[in-house]
Amino acid sequence: MAAREYGGGFVDTIKYIVSKGLLEGSRAYYMALLGLVLMAAYGVYVWVFIQHAPVFLKSDYGGMMLTGMSDSVPWGLYISFFIFWVGVAAAGIVFGLAGYVFGHKGFKKVAVLGEVQAVAAIVTVLSLIMVDIGRPLRAMILMPQLPNLHSMLDWDFMVLTGYLILNIIGFLVTVHYYRQDKPIPRKFLVPFMIIASPFAIGIHTVTAFISQALVARPYWNSPLLAPRYVATAFASGPAILMLVLVLAEKYIKGFKVDDDVYRKTMLVMVGALIIGLYFTFSEAHEVFWYTTEPLKKAQFEEAFYGYHLGYLPVMMMLWIGLGAAAVILALIPKVRNTWPGRLLIAVITIIAVINEKTMSILVPAYIPDPLGRYILYYPTPLEYAITLGMHAIGILVYLVLAKVAIEVIMTHYFRGSGAHH
Amino acid sequence: MVEDKASGAGLTRRELLKAMAVVGGASTISFIAIDREKLRAVLKPVSLEEILGLEAEASADESELERKARKKEEEIKKWCSREAEKICSAKGGDSPECKEAKRRCSMVKVKATPAKPGVRFAMALDINKCIGCRRCAYACVMENNQDREMHIEWIKVVSVPREEFEILNTKLDYTKAPEKNMVYVPMACMHCEDPPCVMVCPVRATFKEPDGIVVIDYDRCIGCRYCITACPYGARRFNWRKPTIPVTELNPNMHILGNVLRQPHVTEKCTWCIQRSRDGGVPACVEVCPVGARSFGDLNDPESPIRRIIEEYGAFVLRPEAGTKPRFFYYFGPARTPPREEASGKSGGEG
Repeated sequence: MAAREYGGGFVDTIKYIVSKGLLEGSRAYYMALLGLVLMAAYGVYVWVFIQHAPVFLKSDYGGMMLTGMSDSVPWGLYISFFIFWVGVAAAGIVFGLAGYVFGHKGFKKVAVLGEVQAVAAIVTVLSLIMVDIGRPLRAMILMPQLPNLHSMLDWDFMVLTGYLILNIIGFLVTVHYYRQDKPIPRKFLVPFMIIASPFAIGIHTVTAFISQALVARPYWNSPLLAPRYVATAFASGPAILMLVLVLAEKYIKGFKVDDDVYRKTMLVMVGALIIGLYFTFSEAHEVFWYTTEPLKKAQFEEAFYGYHLGYLPVMMMLWIGLGAAAVILALIPKVRNTWPGRLLIAVITIIAVINEKTMSILVPAYIPDPLGRYILYYPTPLEYAITLGMHAIGILVYLVLAKVAIEVIMTHYFRGSGAHH
Repeated sequence: MVEDKASGAGLTRRELLKAMAVVGGASTISFIAIDREKLRAVLKPVSLEEILGLEAEASADESELERKARKKEEEIKKWCSREAEKICSAKGGDSPECKEAKRRCSMVKVKATPAKPGVRFAMALDINKCIGCRRCAYACVMENNQDREMHIEWIKVVSVPREEFEILNTKLDYTKAPEKNMVYVPMACMHCEDPPCVMVCPVRATFKEPDGIVVIDYDRCIGCRYCITACPYGARRFNWRKPTIPVTELNPNMHILGNVLRQPHVTEKCTWCIQRSRDGGVPACVEVCPVGARSFGDLNDPESPIRRIIEEYGAFVLRPEAGTKPRFFYYFGPARTPPREEASGKSGGEG
């Protein structure tokens, strides 16, 4: 919006982003970019030429047959990580909210990093959907044309693309002003935050609504699913941002983060973790204390005991154990106030939420299936390769945009006029 | 920055209100300006009239479907003759396989028969009669041109202990049937009145026809597998790769929404043999059942066997708590086919 008013200058901003992000950098930076590009290219190659060969190349071999998915477990690794990254994406607007709406100066400084994280996470999410959908080209043509407003998938597609566009706008505008050492004008920020904040909650909520209302899958069929998604999302998103901040402060000269930002982020993280653990506890009680609904009970038993699928209880226990560990560590001032301690808590939180959000939230809903069969799901190497490739795309986007973002933060706050305040 | 902070609160609130007014105004204008008819069409993928079959589909839609069917037919004929040539060159022009393949190719016909107005199909199955032989599943595979290697079987037969129908205690992979103390429950698409799969499809590739058959438009399916996730009866199957069907076993009688050859990465499921039932026939499973456990008919016709069964024996549906209102009824008929001798002596004890 504001960008259009400064038409000429805006093209310069694009040039600035390209030159800072791609044309400048150390050897290590380029090696990292190259590695990620190779990984992404391999993932796309495997997707196009093996997993989707019957669709793209009309060949007889290949197909999604080569994944571990089946009619009983139709969604697998891709959708698992889709769920996780949707959660991570929210942090963008949350930090913007703290900085721009509540006027917290420390958060204002790093809000753009949150937007970068959101962009990268949503890019990962959309790539993961793309490789999961059987006929992606058809989907791209049909989904905007013939949306079925009863389908949560359409709503999810809308909020995700909307959120992506909003965060890209936010990032561009921030870079545009910061690089000229100007503050972002209120005229842009107020409407932007009003439109963007509902999206931050919306992306999780709608993603949870995809599965929550399905009577066919008792594991999900509870109103607690959406709050559970949001709760742990507010742990993982800020945790990744904190990890980046800690590392950036440590390794980038002159980059300084207010201590209050760490304190408040930690508070959000730990609060969200406690709520998430409490939800797990509540769900466990519901199922294991009284419930006599056999399919629901069987699916929860699969998640907690893993009679057939051994990795599910391991993930569940890791979530509970590491989640509790992160909470306890964050209560100790000696740990939470030092940089290695912060790093440790952030990493533990991320691992805990990965264990909660990915396979253990998805797979038990399919085992046993509505016909009572136990068809097990183990991801195949092909799925791992494609998932890694799609993550490489996301990390690539993150690296390039974060470099630009930190550059402009340095320009505005640590070298320019912003430094005086 | 300092002056920002000083005047911050009031300014923010006023501008916030302004912006909210702008957003509200914009949404009001778009709400008023939007074409109501279009909006209604978008918001209501399945109307009551459609479910009850009172309203036939628009004629423009039909011709579209027929056009698609014609194109598909040419495509399949080409593919079929190619495959037949392969067989003929491998086994010789006079071999029975070659002749069979050519015969089937010449008969290929893809129909787009529309639903008859006022018809509402339903199926009923007598659990007392079913012997669990799985001939219906086999006939279904052959009739509906299902892939021969991916185990896409639209009909799954579960063996259930007589005491309790709990799906977790059932077995799909039994090898000996019929056994005493077991009942056999074939399950396929229930063609619900209120199908969750239709609600969740993001591109409306699956929908309910006026005669109650839930169909999939294979040219529209994007393969997201949301409908498989949503189906409480596990009735939907996915083509995880390119389906293979030997031309010598091809069923040339095809319907564009039914057993027309599928593409890779699309979903499929039972269509009550739309290619047969729309032309006045019965589905293949009904025809092939050796004990006559299945009956098929028009729910709106008072003379139909379905109505008679419901009135005489009373019927039940599976998972009624799902609220999907299946149109596939189960009932316990008057006579039991599987092991009679043993069952008759101590039937009281078995309960």
